[in-house]
Amino acid sequence: MTSPEVIEEHAGKAADWVGVAREASHAFVAGAAVEERRELVIVQLAAGEYAIPVERIREIVRLAKVTRIPRTPDWLVGVVALRGEILEVVDLRRRLGLPATEATRASRIVVIHGDDDGVAGLLVDSVKGVLRARERDVVPAQGHDFRSVVELVRSGMGFVSILDLDRVLGAGDE
Amino acid sequence: MAAPRARKPGKKTGAGGSRERAETARDGREFVAEAEEILEQMSGDLCLLHEQRHADGDVDPELVHRLFRSAHTLKGLAGLFGLDPISRLAHRFEDILDGLRLGRIDLRARVVGMLDEGAATLLELISGFGRQAELPEAAMARAEHYLAELEQSLAPSPSDALDGLDAPGIDPTLLRALTEYEEHRLRENLQRGRPIVLIDATFDLTSFEDGLTEISAAVRESGEIISTLPSASASAERKICFTLLVATNLAPEQLGRRIDQSNCAFRVVHTGRIDAPANAPAAPPSPGGTDGEKAETLRPADELAEASQSGEPTKIESLRSISGSVRVDIAKLDLLMNLVGELVSHRNALAGIVARLTADSRNARIGADLAKVQKLLDRRLRQLQAGVLDVRMVPLRQVFEKLSRVVRRLRVDLGKEVALEFAGGDTELDKLIVEQLVDPLVHVVRNAFDHALESPDEREAAGKPPIGRIRVAAFQRGNHVVLEVGDDGRGMDVEAIRSKAVSRGLVGAQEVLSEREVLNLVFEAGLSTRDEVSETSGRGVGMDVVRSNLAALGGLVEVSSRRGLGTTITITLPITLAIIQALIVRVGDERYAIPLGSVRETLRAGEQPVLHSEDKEILNLRGSPLLLKNLAYEFGIESDCERERQFVVVLGMGEHRLGLVVDGLEGQQDIVIKPIKGPLQTIHGIAGATELGDRVAVLVVDVSALVLETARRREAA
Repeated sequence: MTSPEVIEEHAGKAADWVGVAREASHAFVAGAAVEERRELVIVQLAAGEYAIPVERIREIVRLAKVTRIPRTPDWLVGVVALRGEILEVVDLRRRLGLPATEATRASRIVVIHGDDDGVAGLLVDSVKGVLRARERDVVPAQGHDFRSVVELVRSGMGFVSILDLDRVLGAGDE
Repeated sequence: MAAPRARKPGKKTGAGGSRERAETARDGREFVAEAEEILEQMSGDLCLLHEQRHADGDVDPELVHRLFRSAHTLKGLAGLFGLDPISRLAHRFEDILDGLRLGRIDLRARVVGMLDEGAATLLELISGFGRQAELPEAAMARAEHYLAELEQSLAPSPSDALDGLDAPGIDPTLLRALTEYEEHRLRENLQRGRPIVLIDATFDLTSFEDGLTEISAAVRESGEIISTLPSASASAERKICFTLLVATNLAPEQLGRRIDQSNCAFRVVHTGRIDAPANAPAAPPSPGGTDGEKAETLRPADELAEASQSGEPTKIESLRSISGSVRVDIAKLDLLMNLVGELVSHRNALAGIVARLTADSRNARIGADLAKVQKLLDRRLRQLQAGVLDVRMVPLRQVFEKLSRVVRRLRVDLGKEVALEFAGGDTELDKLIVEQLVDPLVHVVRNAFDHALESPDEREAAGKPPIGRIRVAAFQRGNHVVLEVGDDGRGMDVEAIRSKAVSRGLVGAQEVLSEREVLNLVFEAGLSTRDEVSETSGRGVGMDVVRSNLAALGGLVEVSSRRGLGTTITITLPITLAIIQALIVRVGDERYAIPLGSVRETLRAGEQPVLHSEDKEILNLRGSPLLLKNLAYEFGIESDCERERQFVVVLGMGEHRLGLVVDGLEGQQDIVIKPIKGPLQTIHGIAGATELGDRVAVLVVDVSALVLETARRREAA
């Protein structure tokens, strides 16, 4: 398994979470078997917080110039050029049925690992940090009629939804 | 090549041996790459063997010899890597071929079948090994079974007694110098009644290799060299003499004329049964030699005896097997290509800076200097690009060989005959495209064989020759390569396709479609003109996949058909996907790249009169109507540009023309088309994207898709 690299693509103020995420990812590789913990990157979308497993994240970059693609569903923002690769960017808000919004300076693209089909950029409002969750804090989300959420994780007083990326990126209501 | 190491791959190396494992894996890859190449050559040769057997039953001995050598090399290679089953199989393969070339085994259909099967099993073993670094069980079992069967079925045919060689006029001492193989070839040629000629050729010691190669090549054009024997009879010092024992297709005197060289003497030892054409003028005596029957008496026998004892027969093949080529991993080529691609985009950025500098009066001089350097850089870069592109080009023959293999198997499966013809195998295409082309093309040919060609009875009833014909032809047209797959089968039933398309809701019952439009509906998903399910072609699936596969390569597929006369599928492909010239156009605030290979010309929109017909616009282009499409409308882009200030980009693809209306032309650039990665599998109308100098992705228009969206507009429904 390749080590999940968390890279800040563009120059500028390095946000705190980058260091946290990098550390976490190293810890993930080194001590995955030692302690039953899950490393989750927490992102903000509208009023909610969502969690993405660290091992599925290739890198997190600032929002660069997105080229719109004609004749595609509205949840597809467009494509970006990233180190010689052309990557589709999915508007995670729209994909989850949340109200769309304008991008801000806090907006980030979370680049998901995968072979040719699995790879994608997810546009999120902001990245909050990394959560190291104990396995017993993860509960199934069955019966709650979620579309892209299979599990929830306890965090502080409430719950954070863990995104099932295969469902998020899979063929849906196009 | 890795150093020879006996090792059993497939066995797990111990824990902690990750380095060793990695090495094993690399060795394995090397083996697979090399073995695949040998097999490729072998299957190509097997194809030729089939063709020659079908053509006149007379198989080129050099071909059998080459197959023998391939099997031999493969055997050695597999032995080196400790791959016993492959080695043993190759060994038996070699035995059969050895038997064939020595005449111990007759070249019967059964034997050829065995060879085919052996090659297929070898391929299975090797590709299985390539996939999982282990020999697949199933293939190993098949190999065992195959070997057992071989033992039984290939009892050697009684070999002619060695002294039964009836070759009057050939000196017995010379005969004794021949190897078993050479003797067999001599016997074979005598049986066929070919003239046998001895050529004594004298060369300078310093340059005899070149001279010998030259003469050998000349002889091979019209005959076969049975043996080349060095001779001690050189008349002068620093000279060397060879005696070539030659069987020829020509009358001996014709051969003499063809080889016309002063250092060669001809002796006819057997006139054969081939009559010289009546109108052929008498052969002039070649200098230093004679023609006709006299030659038989030319040399004393002991001289020849000396010749044959003076050393081992020279191996000409070894001279020819030294090849000047290098095998390269395609991934390395891709890396080079990407680097060149990046250089190109930096060049584009540099051009932008140069333009800014020259436009600024304070920096104009630096700008001009820089422009000069940039021009030099440009030229070299273009050469580099062309060089790297050229390396990637491979002839289509490779695909043709695969096709004929498939058809051979189909002949058996379908119990049907077909005459398969190829033309234009030398046409070159980017390796990447060739790879992607195989599956769609196999599908098309299979369809033609299975569906389009009638049974022999049906054909005779229709007054056609009983055996159907499929012709695959390739040729270059501008920046594209055109592939045509034509058959002389039953042709397509336009009405049947139409009614089916209507029943499937693909077209409206009242819609007016040209015959061509109806025919091309077969590329729509879920439309098949035959209802039976067939193992070979499946049901209805396929042609739509063929189209989308080819579209992914920037290609276009069309069909034309005549009821009762046959069908032709025409595929138009770009020569390369790697770096192409593109026209950058602007629509609203957005830029798009259009491959220049598909751009015929550009016009100012205001200059030509535009006709309105229904909801379409048609431009009068020097007397021909040109359908216009507004890119802003097609792609849903906001644009308030007035028609007078817009441009028309005239696109051409195959026979089709289309005028694309855009807001502005931003110039030409070399671009690398890259695939778009992400959840959407295909984006209609977009062939990919490229990164321009400013790190922004620009979409590349899929010209074939735009051109094909003809009158039938999906959203109109």
